[in-house]
Amino acid sequence: MKQILHIFSLFLIFLGALLLFERPAYAYTDPGTGLLAIQAAGSALVATGWYLRRKIYALFHRGPAKDSPEDMPAAVDGEDSSRS
Amino acid sequence: MNDFAPLTQVDAAVPSGNLNLEPTFRDPAGELRLTVSHALRRIHPSSVEETQAFLASPLRAALEKSGDIIPTAIASAATHPCVAPGELWLEHPRIDPINYPWEWTPAQWRAAAELTLRIAERAVASGWQLKDATPLNILFAGARPILVDALSFERRDPHSSVWLADGQFVRSFLLPLVAAKYLSWPLEATLFVRDGYEPARIYKALRPWQRLNPSLLDVVTLATVLERKGTKQQAARPASARDPELAAHILKKRLARLVKQIRGTAGSPGRSQWSDYTQSATHYQPGDATEKQEFVKNILQRCAPSHVLDIGANTGTYSLMAADSGAKVVAIDADAAALEVLWTKAAHQKRAVTTLVANIARPTPAAGWKNREHFSLLDRLTGRFDVVFLLAVIHHLILREQLPLAHIAGLCASLTRRWLVLEWVPPSDPMYQEWLRGRDNLYGHLNEDDLQRAFAPYFASVDRCELGNGRVLFLLERFPAGGSGTGATSPHAEESLA
Repeated sequence: MKQILHIFSLFLIFLGALLLFERPAYAYTDPGTGLLAIQAAGSALVATGWYLRRKIYALFHRGPAKDSPEDMPAAVDGEDSSRS
Repeated sequence: MNDFAPLTQVDAAVPSGNLNLEPTFRDPAGELRLTVSHALRRIHPSSVEETQAFLASPLRAALEKSGDIIPTAIASAATHPCVAPGELWLEHPRIDPINYPWEWTPAQWRAAAELTLRIAERAVASGWQLKDATPLNILFAGARPILVDALSFERRDPHSSVWLADGQFVRSFLLPLVAAKYLSWPLEATLFVRDGYEPARIYKALRPWQRLNPSLLDVVTLATVLERKGTKQQAARPASARDPELAAHILKKRLARLVKQIRGTAGSPGRSQWSDYTQSATHYQPGDATEKQEFVKNILQRCAPSHVLDIGANTGTYSLMAADSGAKVVAIDADAAALEVLWTKAAHQKRAVTTLVANIARPTPAAGWKNREHFSLLDRLTGRFDVVFLLAVIHHLILREQLPLAHIAGLCASLTRRWLVLEWVPPSDPMYQEWLRGRDNLYGHLNEDDLQRAFAPYFASVDRCELGNGRVLFLLERFPAGGSGTGATSPHAEESLA
């Protein structure tokens, strides 16, 4: 089940990537085409999760939502941009 | 003295070799040149303001304090005549020996990758970002990775949720590790790829079911599919986030994902024929091993070396012993799994041991543009050590590499400034017999006299210790250059090794 959910989330990345091509990128290094699209799609998913979390938080609390600290060890707990 | 001079002309400690590297030329922000004791960077005028801003930033101070980036000072014309009025030059200490990713063990690759991501994360939090992310920006000082490119930082657009160096990180850090884990491609092969592997190259080599592996699906499979779709388009980026807080949040999540993927490339600890050698060697009785260690320990006390080279270091018993005595140690071995054991110990115990996966008989060549971007192994090692260990290695060089004793002696003489600790393995030794493989006529007759004759042009024998298993340890002292040795007239002089 977990595997299916993961593949589904990556499918969303693919869909997001197709929708997210926009302005030209200007970089010192070669950003790649596919890898940049993957990053873009992951960004869209993270942003969606971020907004949803705020909305849900706002339903139950007054005032601005608090952000949990995001630091590198979070990766150990399984948090990543393609799974938000 | 002209700081621009090639290293061969300014570094008296380097007697030979082709250390004539050109200044770097890829980074539009500046160029790097090496002197005897410093790395100097000339900053191009268009990048002066950005560089000064970074130098003045709390981020730079914090990263230097934690030892994650190389210390930087403004280079003055008084110290470096190459500094012209009105130009900005930076000065960094040299890290020796320079070490390249194709000489790192897998664990070193992961440590270098995690350092890059850690710095990238701290930069995001401070309003900066890494503009590039390649293993070539990292050097190991002892067992510790350090970012040595102070020009890698640029101010971050607070609304930007994209890290443009992400692609380079994946190609040059993650995919070589993926290829090593899933395809058994050696990390040494990265010598031939400046900017890592394209996802499509890995995709093509993977088996169909491997392409669906959750940890490879995005950076390999989907990236390849999207790359094909996007071949006729310009590289594109998504819209900026309106909320800077969201942009930073997205970047941190992306970096966390990469950390997880890098850690996912670690397998069970690698084993090889040699990684368990110290524990499984049956030709060494405990008494022999103790006697050998005592001999080496006494030499370290007697010679008090500041720089030691351990050739064929294996899991590092003698490298760590030398590091304990206060020396800076370079440990080389062709067996990455054995050397990984040593690097792991040295990193945890904070010992001054630099590990290089390399074969002294087929040393890493010079590489890069015109073969002048990256030093060869011998260019970096020649003449830099007070003591060289050649312990339980000579039979490999004779039998597996088919090197004449005189050539081995010449190489040793070029590497050490004074002392050589050599372990002679006689033909009666089980390990010698294992590799002899019917070539008795060629190698079965070699004895201690042959060894001494070959080394006599360069070295005097100072101490000798015969172990119970028949092996013999020597402490040899190199004749001073142009001294009483007959090396200059030897028909097997070291130049023939070039």
